Amino acid sequence: MAAKRLWKAALVPGLLCCMGLGAALTWAGTVRVPDLDLHDSRLDNGLRVILVPDHSAPVYSINMAYNVGSRNERPGRTGFAHLFEHMMFEGSANVGKGEHFILVLNNGGGMNGTTNEDRTVYFEELPKNQLDLGLFLESDRMQALNITQANFENQRKTVQEERRQSIDNQPYGRAELDVDNLSYDNFAYKHSTIGSMSDLDAATLQDVKDFFRTYYAPNNAVLTLVGDFDPDEALAKVKKYFGSIPSQPAPLKVDLAEDAHYGERREIIYDPLARLPEIDIAYHIPPGNTPDNYAAQELAVILAQGQSSRFYQHLVKEKQLASQVSAVADARIGPSLLYLSANPAPGVKAEDLEKGIDDEIAAVLKDGVTSDELAKAKTQLLRRFIDQRRSSLRTAILIGQYTVYFNDPTLINTIQDKQEAVTLDQANATARKYLVPDQRTVVTTLPAPPDATASAKPAR
Amino acid sequence: MKTLGLISRLTWQAVLAFVVVAFVAPLAPTATGQEKAVPLSKVERLDRAPVNKEVLRVKLPRPVAVKLKNGLTLLLLENHKLPTVAFSLWIRPGQLADPSDLPGLASFTAGMLREGTERRTSAQIANEIDSLGATLSAAAAFGSSYLSVDASGLISDAPQILDLLSDVALHPSFSPNELAQYKQREEASLEQRLSNPGFLARQAFRRVLYGDAPLSITSPTKESIEKVTADDLKKFHSEHFRPGNSILGVTGDFKTAEMQALIEKYFGAWAGAAEPPLKLPSSATPQAAKITLVDRPSSVQTFIIGGDRGIRRTDPDYYALTVMNRVIGGGPQARLFLNLREEHSYTYGAYSNFNAESYPGDWFASAAVRTPVTDGSMTQFLYEFKRIRDEAVPQGELDEAHRAIVAGFALSLEQPAQVLTSWLTVQHFGLPADYWDSYPDHISAIDAAAVQAAAKKYVDLDHLQWVCVGDRKQIQDVLAKYGTVAVVDANGKSEN
Repeated sequence: MAAKRLWKAALVPGLLCCMGLGAALTWAGTVRVPDLDLHDSRLDNGLRVILVPDHSAPVYSINMAYNVGSRNERPGRTGFAHLFEHMMFEGSANVGKGEHFILVLNNGGGMNGTTNEDRTVYFEELPKNQLDLGLFLESDRMQALNITQANFENQRKTVQEERRQSIDNQPYGRAELDVDNLSYDNFAYKHSTIGSMSDLDAATLQDVKDFFRTYYAPNNAVLTLVGDFDPDEALAKVKKYFGSIPSQPAPLKVDLAEDAHYGERREIIYDPLARLPEIDIAYHIPPGNTPDNYAAQELAVILAQGQSSRFYQHLVKEKQLASQVSAVADARIGPSLLYLSANPAPGVKAEDLEKGIDDEIAAVLKDGVTSDELAKAKTQLLRRFIDQRRSSLRTAILIGQYTVYFNDPTLINTIQDKQEAVTLDQANATARKYLVPDQRTVVTTLPAPPDATASAKPAR
Repeated sequence: MKTLGLISRLTWQAVLAFVVVAFVAPLAPTATGQEKAVPLSKVERLDRAPVNKEVLRVKLPRPVAVKLKNGLTLLLLENHKLPTVAFSLWIRPGQLADPSDLPGLASFTAGMLREGTERRTSAQIANEIDSLGATLSAAAAFGSSYLSVDASGLISDAPQILDLLSDVALHPSFSPNELAQYKQREEASLEQRLSNPGFLARQAFRRVLYGDAPLSITSPTKESIEKVTADDLKKFHSEHFRPGNSILGVTGDFKTAEMQALIEKYFGAWAGAAEPPLKLPSSATPQAAKITLVDRPSSVQTFIIGGDRGIRRTDPDYYALTVMNRVIGGGPQARLFLNLREEHSYTYGAYSNFNAESYPGDWFASAAVRTPVTDGSMTQFLYEFKRIRDEAVPQGELDEAHRAIVAGFALSLEQPAQVLTSWLTVQHFGLPADYWDSYPDHISAIDAAAVQAAAKKYVDLDHLQWVCVGDRKQIQDVLAKYGTVAVVDANGKSEN
């Protein structure tokens, strides 16, 4: 569905700046959210520890970010990093299977874990008087995971159900995976994070033990705490719980480089679960935390985020070619993608919608975006930045992510300046350089008759 | 980029709002499944983690409540952490007032508010909102006794945001041209919805539970989208959009007196006395338990819902049902999740929920399971339903439920919009003014007998309605073991 990717944009850095508005409006002054006070240190065993006191609510959030994602998988073991994440909840030396959920939820908290191409994060939010509980749970499983064949079989099947629920039993699931698959040649980002069913079946218990030893070491992790605690007291507790965990040799780095692409890549998918066509497009953009990537974030807003965006006003409202449109730009460690997605209006053919999209991109390349549009994009990103700041959990996850990706936790404060620094010339130069047919992937999904099996073919 | 979560993101956020208790599930009876048996992976408690036994008791901050001369009720809740403001306007009666031949009229009306007013075009509204970095949305949820219009942004823009909010809520233009475009988008949305197994399950479930409109309606139809006119929208708007029917909640970085004055400036001229409460057709008598199979070819999972009618929001059983629901399916620490996912490997997640409304809402458990374990999953659902009815919840589990709910209030203090919603609920349903202050004590008073009584009443096996969305060729015979099966298509038409 066209809107599907939008929520991932929440992990995109927010922004702030002086804002210019449309002609009829006046801006009531610059807003700058105060910088967070980061206490950044490292234990002897290499664990990076970042503490951010915040006494506005009697809670705290803890995020453990491991420097490992699906990019670290090898052929034959796709989906393994995510499967391993599930194993982290199956028990450790002093915590039983399922007990993690029980302890956190029954003491007034919430928790989850997520895996993507670049990192795996584990997080809890708890009332402030449960600081020891959170630290204990994260340190116990970093130290000694309890891995059994029965637990492993259970989570293998759980992950396979997750794949069925979010991909195989949904319209456009196949398209979502194929866009990345076609866009990348380097195996690291080419294959899906959820993995193939056969690779998930092939994973072994020994793989789990090896993976744990290689990647789940304190020197490969970042611990972030945000909330209502005293930083000195918190650091002492962190040392108490994590200090004796031995470091491991640093894992091998993964080469994420993409060779140059020549020529557009296309595919048609016949999807028996889809009732409407969909067009999914991806353009190559530079890695996150680069000037051109920040420009691409703002281009994505201008193109198709919000109802004043170009795609919404021209394709949905004026020309009535599309019923839904969306755009989002990734900010990965490696080469990233700017995704566009659209569904046609009733009676409109997919190729006519694609022509409409092409016309919009051509207009941007020819005449550029305007300074009003750029200012509006910056304002919308500011708004998200402020919303994220309200949540200690969101803040802790972002800090951990910035540190794993870019070795820079202060991005939680400085990102606003980096977004502000994007100039109109730069935004338009970025568009001309990257929004080109030679550097893009187009996946078209068409409804197939019911009971057909899903099939796809490359399209020339 | 694809990010995968351990448990469904939406469920986790819902869990923060209330909390539950988990229990180690004893070995459940093995089903005669269609798969080779996988050794059960047992949930286990070691009780070695350092838990602070003290429960942090917090009081929910309370808004200032003011009733304006025109009948509009204001709830004003200051919060100075960030320079923002958020408005939420609740207008009853919402979708429940849809005429029976125009399902979705309330949601069309809400959806069209942004599409033009007497002073602004749709494009101008969109540009103004995005230029402010603000948000503005309106929705009439199906089955809900109110619709809402929400706006948020920077506090320094409050006058402009209020101008926009009042303009779209009070003076929408409902232009025929915009309506024609809106209909196209609605038609496409409907098509998309019909491919979603969760939606198909909810649609069939509400129909079998409530029979006729309006309570059974979960979506507009192709016919109602085609039929609706601008005059229909104007009529709905003039009949129901009145200050006497409405509550305006606001939270943010303001001084209460100043914000009240600002709101009066933009909403003071609004006129219209409260309507008498909506008379709903009395529900048909509950049907005997049965299974509705919604055929969805090419499905690789079966989406299962099992449930029944529940309670009104004001029902004194609310506390008991809250605790009962938490125990059986309120999160990843609850019985259904630990059984169907952690022990049996059937699903990514199994949960239960209930909607308490101005009429007896529903209670239901649900899970998406791979097709070959449809049989085993039905067995485990029934096992848990019988267990909560027939066995008193152990004291330790109950203590944890009380504890979790009281301790969970601390997290909500981070989200003033969530706190505001809690008070809007009190105001809308006419609950006592000190409702949230006494809520922890009412929850703590729910003992095992009360939980069991609620289970016997609301998990009524004789009238329990099952809906299974999946590939009929693979699951119809299996489901016949559990009761009478009626097969329908995505539009609800019988396929028998």
